[in-house]
Amino acid sequence: MTLPAFDLLQPETLGEALKLLEATPAAVPIAGGTCLLLDLRERKRTPGTLLDLSRIEELHRIEVIDDVLVMGAMVTIAELLDNPRVEAHAGVLHEACRTFAAPLVRNRATIGGNLVHASPAADTAPPLLLLDAEIETQAEGRKRLTPLDRFLVGPCETTLRPGHLLTAVRIPIPERPPRWAYEKIRLRKADAISVVSAAALAAPSEDGPPEVRIALGAVAPTPIRAWDAEETLKGRELTAGAIAVAAKVAAEETCPIADVRGSAAYRRREVEILVRHCLSDLMTPSGGGGDGN
Amino acid sequence: MIDNIQPKPLPEVELPELRQIGRPLRRVDALGKAVGATVYAADYSMPNMLRAKVFRSDRPHARIVRLDVSKAKALAGVACVLTGEDVKGANLNTDMPGQTGRPTRSGSDAPVLALDAVRYVGEPIALVAAETVALAEEAVGRIEIEYEELPAVFDPEQALRPGAPILFEPDNVVSRYTIRKGDLEKGMAEADLVVENTFRMPFVEHAYLEPDAGVAWIDEQGVINIRVATQVVEHFRSVARALCLPQNKVRVRGTMVGGGFGSKEDVTVEIFLAFLARETGRPVKLVYTREEAFLATSKRHPFKITHRTGVKRDGRITASHVEMVADSGAYPYLTPYVLLYATGMATGPYRIDNVHVDSVAAATNQSFTSAFRGFGGPQAALAYEQQMDAIAAALGMDPLEVRRINYLRTGDTTCTGQAVTSAVWSEECATRALHALGDRTSGSKTRRIGRGLANTFQSYGRITWFHDTSRAWVGVEQDGTVVLRCGVPDIGAGQSNSLCQIAAEILGVPLDHVTIYATDSAVTPLAGTSTATRQLYMSGNAVCLAANTIRARLTARAAKHIGVSEKEIELGNSRVWVKDDPDRFIELAEVAQLCAAGGIELSQLAQFNAPFTGGLDPETGQGDIWPDFTFGAVAVEVAVDAETGQIELLKCAAAHDVGRAINRAAVEGQIAGGTHQGLGYALMEEFALKDGRVVTPSFAEYLIPTTLDYPATEVIVLESGTGIGPFGAKGIGEPALTPAAPAVANAVADALGVRIHEVPLTAERVLEAVDEARKKGLL
Amino acid sequence: METRTVTLDVNGRTHDAAIAPNTTLLEALRALGYTDVKNGCEKGDCGACAVLLNGRAVNSCLVLAWQAEGQEIVTNRGLGTIEHPHPIQEAFADTGAVQCGFCTSGMIIATKAMLNRNPDPTEDEIREGLSGNLCRCTGYGQIVEAVRLAAERLRRSSSSLSSLRGEGTPRKDGHEHAPVERVRVSDDEFGAGDNS
Repeated sequence: MTLPAFDLLQPETLGEALKLLEATPAAVPIAGGTCLLLDLRERKRTPGTLLDLSRIEELHRIEVIDDVLVMGAMVTIAELLDNPRVEAHAGVLHEACRTFAAPLVRNRATIGGNLVHASPAADTAPPLLLLDAEIETQAEGRKRLTPLDRFLVGPCETTLRPGHLLTAVRIPIPERPPRWAYEKIRLRKADAISVVSAAALAAPSEDGPPEVRIALGAVAPTPIRAWDAEETLKGRELTAGAIAVAAKVAAEETCPIADVRGSAAYRRREVEILVRHCLSDLMTPSGGGGDGN
Repeated sequence: MIDNIQPKPLPEVELPELRQIGRPLRRVDALGKAVGATVYAADYSMPNMLRAKVFRSDRPHARIVRLDVSKAKALAGVACVLTGEDVKGANLNTDMPGQTGRPTRSGSDAPVLALDAVRYVGEPIALVAAETVALAEEAVGRIEIEYEELPAVFDPEQALRPGAPILFEPDNVVSRYTIRKGDLEKGMAEADLVVENTFRMPFVEHAYLEPDAGVAWIDEQGVINIRVATQVVEHFRSVARALCLPQNKVRVRGTMVGGGFGSKEDVTVEIFLAFLARETGRPVKLVYTREEAFLATSKRHPFKITHRTGVKRDGRITASHVEMVADSGAYPYLTPYVLLYATGMATGPYRIDNVHVDSVAAATNQSFTSAFRGFGGPQAALAYEQQMDAIAAALGMDPLEVRRINYLRTGDTTCTGQAVTSAVWSEECATRALHALGDRTSGSKTRRIGRGLANTFQSYGRITWFHDTSRAWVGVEQDGTVVLRCGVPDIGAGQSNSLCQIAAEILGVPLDHVTIYATDSAVTPLAGTSTATRQLYMSGNAVCLAANTIRARLTARAAKHIGVSEKEIELGNSRVWVKDDPDRFIELAEVAQLCAAGGIELSQLAQFNAPFTGGLDPETGQGDIWPDFTFGAVAVEVAVDAETGQIELLKCAAAHDVGRAINRAAVEGQIAGGTHQGLGYALMEEFALKDGRVVTPSFAEYLIPTTLDYPATEVIVLESGTGIGPFGAKGIGEPALTPAAPAVANAVADALGVRIHEVPLTAERVLEAVDEARKKGLL
Repeated sequence: METRTVTLDVNGRTHDAAIAPNTTLLEALRALGYTDVKNGCEKGDCGACAVLLNGRAVNSCLVLAWQAEGQEIVTNRGLGTIEHPHPIQEAFADTGAVQCGFCTSGMIIATKAMLNRNPDPTEDEIREGLSGNLCRCTGYGQIVEAVRLAAERLRRSSSSLSSLRGEGTPRKDGHEHAPVERVRVSDDEFGAGDNS
């Protein structure tokens, strides 16, 4: 099936791109194309103009600036996987990238595209929610930072306005690296949309038990933090009992849908299982990723 | 399941040592495909070519009230638009009279283009030919249609009830069979226990990697040429009939097929292309999208199968009553034969004296169902092999032991009273497959380990009252190289290579001295369909006949030249020599030149006929159906996660008696690949429809296994030499698939202590079983 | 919709062709005659259309042709021919990894990319590297064998300093391509074959 007709603008610099967007706010930016081209092919969207971001070098960088890991919007999932800074400072994101789709797709799909597409099952989102990620967006003469959980507002819906571009994803690098855990359920072992995904992080604190964070994907209109579940763990040690409670609460704060991949009941049931697994991994000294030292 | 099974010792078999046969030689088609040189149907182009697109129904059951193609026709760049009016009377004659041993069904042929009504979502309604694909798509978008929706039926049992919406008068019955063997009542009365279970299987998609495609044009003789990915070049006759042309005015030039598995056995694009080429006078190309390949081609039949089995305490089966309901979808296609296969194999490779089988296939407003590797055999096996395990559980016996007591042996009869004449190595296969699993993996409370076995049989060769034949032409060139001409379609299993390897063996040349020209209905001798696991048997035997005839001429001429008698001659490595005195020789090339000079024919066309029989008794269903059977087994070990419901396949072993392996690597590849498809059938594949609409329209929703999903199958090839194919070969294409799914189902039941009666074994179904097992205190 | 002349560098040849912006790299390559690049799904689900783009294996159905300008594109045919097959192609042919062959070009491209980065992969790594390429015929076992065999043969021949048939001189970045002289192809050749 052919793609619908469109004009393709191919700016070489970010400045050029923003100027073009200002002039044609209806132009749809194309990053890796792994989701957008599917939508076009199925005629879910028929934009008259696409803005190709692939030539903009500034958007391909991964840098550490003032203790912030800055990942350009066009950095591919494969490039995230190859980057030792991502592995060191965003271990849980790195892990999610490892099982993202399939190798061929990882070479094209981008972190920016994954977030702008904003599927409820977007795999980079739950880890980024744990890492206090901020979205940098730009328009001509304007730059803005938005916390990720305020950027994602609905299924395939973000706060990104026409004429604006997601340019980078920023993660503050904590002084003390956290322990983390990640698990997801899919219907086969590669190249399948998540049925449920869960990520958890234990950020060491000065005194007292670590701050535990939990994020979930594919079980709500957007990827979410399990705030209520986190609340049950505030200031408490991770024990089997506390974990069981948190896992149950996490399941209750989701609102999964039924679709071809699974029923709502199954998803909710598995949220409890996966959260329990992830939190248990954080509990054991050798469990989870990151060594917390 | 008892572990540490020892393989049953094999009977003594003397298989002659051969030069080419049995070796894992590089196939003749392998390198071309590996370097990307092989041309598939969609890779062809002709000058001045148009692109076609099909307009299809989006309703499951509706009257067509108004169809307006004028706006499509008016679009610049559109060469023609055809509707049912333009091709009125052109049907796909799929329900062939007399060939099922049943009275003909009228009015149920699939029209090439729907005229008054549509019966499934995806049914073709109009054809467009335009300068580009984009224009053809746009034209299709401009076709206007008004439907009057009709009540629809989506379940075959419902379709059989009074008051159901009718697809074809007088009722929705597409096919029925009855088997009456022995005395069921008496057998049931003798039983100590009666075990009853019902099993269900869904629609399954073939998911070949190559979407259906073809190019058609009219040549300088007015012959319609169709380049197409097909399993059947003989469809030139269907095309001729549809276009009211003489049969010698249609030529099907089949390409290397990128997977068929039965889906490309039906007419797919051929008739559309022929009509468009004739109408426009220009070459036309049609390539299905993946979504179209899913939507518009056949599926594996859903079945509901109930087994009621009488058994004695010692494990012996005394009686079996099987009921089957199959979903034919919206048009019959090959349903009557699929139902026949399932019925004839309903009780499995077991000796049962008292058998009733009642089977029926009903039409529904869903995807039409037709051939898919195994052709009813896999469905029958999912039921009979799970039933065997259920019987074992009910008797508190080991599953292998129950099978041992009941296995068919050579000379016993199937449920249709057909005697099995070749070797039956069911136990040899089962014990080897189980043995290959090695030590049992240890599990835990949440990780439940289970093992499962399935023994199956599957026919090779077509239904014998079809009077199947095949032809091949073999010729020796004057430099000693060999040419084969054969209509055989190569669908990836090495159909053409096997013929080359056989010719190479018989004519004493290396494999790479043989070139095959294949799959052209006008130019290569017709070899019949690449279906029913028949090509090696039928065309292989035809090649044997032709090659042996030439060999005899060659050796006679060589013997005369050397001055010895023929029985002193040996032929091999492109040379003929005296057995006891190898220094007295003549190169094969020289023999060929001598023959040519002496007017001795260096080529031979041969025809091989399968056994011809009559049909089954219409009352009792007794009689012979197939030439022979292949027996095999699969054993698997699984780990079931009791929390997530996910099943991990830990180990898989498949053992089959293939009679004789022609190309070792190809046989192993077929067993590995067929097993893999069966694993997918059990664990992840369902072509899902909701109210007649496809819910799994592409590879994103319809999942087939990736490299990460299952470990490699350990393949065990046994050779009894008792097949009726070349060199004692049996067939393996379909038999390779049949045991895998029931082995998995049995393993999962073993892991949980509770059986799931449906496939695929989704996580949700597993969790239901887990909950049930917990209630019963089994977990 | 504005069509313009795009320069595509494919298997060491340079093509100048008039291409519409809504043309995928898959469509463009097939129209240029590279029919070894197969259309299996056009959605990035099956891997049959895989090509190397600057050394990375990608689904060409999800790349716009204009995006591929200025990049090095390698298709399976660029690795070797019947006369001079690449060791990976030979290994696939030798192990029975080729049945219907439709997935094969994509598999070989994914294999090339994998072996460029990791010349000695374990079975798990092989399976991981090919997890975006679907095969319906083989069950993958012989494909894994082929990759293992190819890796072994490549390691052996690179250590023996003999030049590999079909291999160009390895460049520093690990990309290799057939040592064919750069050939400029004119506009007229585009659309010579409608192989989409």
